[in-house]
Amino acid sequence: MACHTPPVPPEVEKAKAQENDLWRAGAPIYAAAEYARYVDSLRSAREKLIRQNARLPWFRDYEEVRADYIVILAQGESLIKNVQAEKRSQSQDSSQRLLRVEERMGKIKALTLMMNEHAPVRENLARAEVAFREAQLLIRNEKYNELAPKLDTLDKHVRQAEEALSSILARYADDAQVARWRKLAQETIAESRRRGTTAVLVNKLARTLTLIKKGKEVAVYEIGLGTYGLSDKICAGDGATPEGRYRIVKKNAQSRYYKALLLDYPNEYDKRQFALAKKQGSIPARASIGGLIEIHGGGKDSLTNGCVGVENSVMDRIFPEISVGTVVTIIGSLESVDKVLAGLRISGS
Amino acid sequence: MKKFSQFLILGIFVIGLFSSCAKQPTQAIDTAKAAIEAASTAGANVYAADELKKLNDQMQAAMDEVNTQGKKFFKKFGPAKEMLAKVQADADALKATIPAKIEAAKNAALQAQTEARAALDEAKALLEKAPMGKGTKADIMAMKADLDGLETSYAEIQTAIDGADYFGASAKAATIKEKATVVSDQVKAAIEKVTGKK
Repeated sequence: MACHTPPVPPEVEKAKAQENDLWRAGAPIYAAAEYARYVDSLRSAREKLIRQNARLPWFRDYEEVRADYIVILAQGESLIKNVQAEKRSQSQDSSQRLLRVEERMGKIKALTLMMNEHAPVRENLARAEVAFREAQLLIRNEKYNELAPKLDTLDKHVRQAEEALSSILARYADDAQVARWRKLAQETIAESRRRGTTAVLVNKLARTLTLIKKGKEVAVYEIGLGTYGLSDKICAGDGATPEGRYRIVKKNAQSRYYKALLLDYPNEYDKRQFALAKKQGSIPARASIGGLIEIHGGGKDSLTNGCVGVENSVMDRIFPEISVGTVVTIIGSLESVDKVLAGLRISGS
Repeated sequence: MKKFSQFLILGIFVIGLFSSCAKQPTQAIDTAKAAIEAASTAGANVYAADELKKLNDQMQAAMDEVNTQGKKFFKKFGPAKEMLAKVQADADALKATIPAKIEAAKNAALQAQTEARAALDEAKALLEKAPMGKGTKADIMAMKADLDGLETSYAEIQTAIDGADYFGASAKAATIKEKATVVSDQVKAAIEKVTGKK
């Protein structure tokens, strides 16, 4: 028995401070079970401490209490490491998930710019960008427990944007349709080679105009289409660019769009399709088939109403090369959209 | 001998009186616990989590003191009662600060909402007078669609405010303001470019 009152072991105060640190670090959230065990150990050690404190001072013996608290402090050290590791892991997982979403968003955004498609794709994308930024802030503030619903919202908006995009691009993922376009392009090139003539191939998805001479591609230029340029033209005012084989019927060097090459749209196939659409009621009964589809200047980003727009400098180059009667073949794409999407290497914005 | 026995009985009675009369301050304990619960329910768990944790620690220390005294032969609950009274007073004081903290968070959210509205309106106004022509029409259409999307997200700020999620509302509003400002900057740059060319 000691003749003096033994002091309370310093480990008791250290454990109090440690428990506070653990709470602040988020142990109850990120290592709930382990933290509960730690708190239990702390409680039973405190019980022992209370029992010793209840004794008369000269009968107190804190050795067992001290030993317990040393074990608890070690337990706490391990716990705080686990909490930090869990937070690091959640941070990395969330950041990687965000990176993957960011890449998806980048591709969608690039496609919308390429296609001149806006609502609802861009709208959903804008909403996704808000959720994305909010998720970034939560990660920065280490609020991983609040992240899951935000990431779900983000996924929802990106998925909606992708679905809206897919509905636009459905024809471009149809292998049979793509095969027909490819055949049309091959026939145009073969005919140019066989007859030794000049031809033009317009690829809507790739946004290119290829000048072909005697079956050889001599130049490729960037083009612009209208808001609904990727759709096949059915009637006047639909903003779509027609697909098929056409011929130049007029050259206009004084066009309001700098210079213009008028196509013979609608051809016989277009007229049949128009009549069928009217019969099926997919277009209004009073709809007209439209016309005045041109390749013209004014810029590739001038948002046409179905025409093919190019820069004035491009118009200067192709205008002398093309004569009345030149074949112009307009196709959707030479590749399935899946390949196009996979081939995109475009960053976030 | 008889007197000694009388003194012994009296002594045992007095000791018994001292050791059993000091009863656990159960009412003070219940009151302190109720005060902490009331502070938490008032919103301390969201708006003053650190202070609430301190209160719980104080309560634990007070309970430790109660338990220590409970195990003693000569019980002395005075200090424990003082600790419990302090816990109760601190909890009441904390509870009293919560409405102001909530109000501050709400005001911050409303302020952020106003700023987001202003940023959206500015971007829309700028887009209206943007040079829609060669090389810009598609971009402008895209930016208009972006602003439509931001406008839909803007409505969610009010939903968050109505649900008393003021921190969430502030974060969303700040993000929308940031995105709308980016659109404004792009339009301003386009206008300056065109003006510069003229």
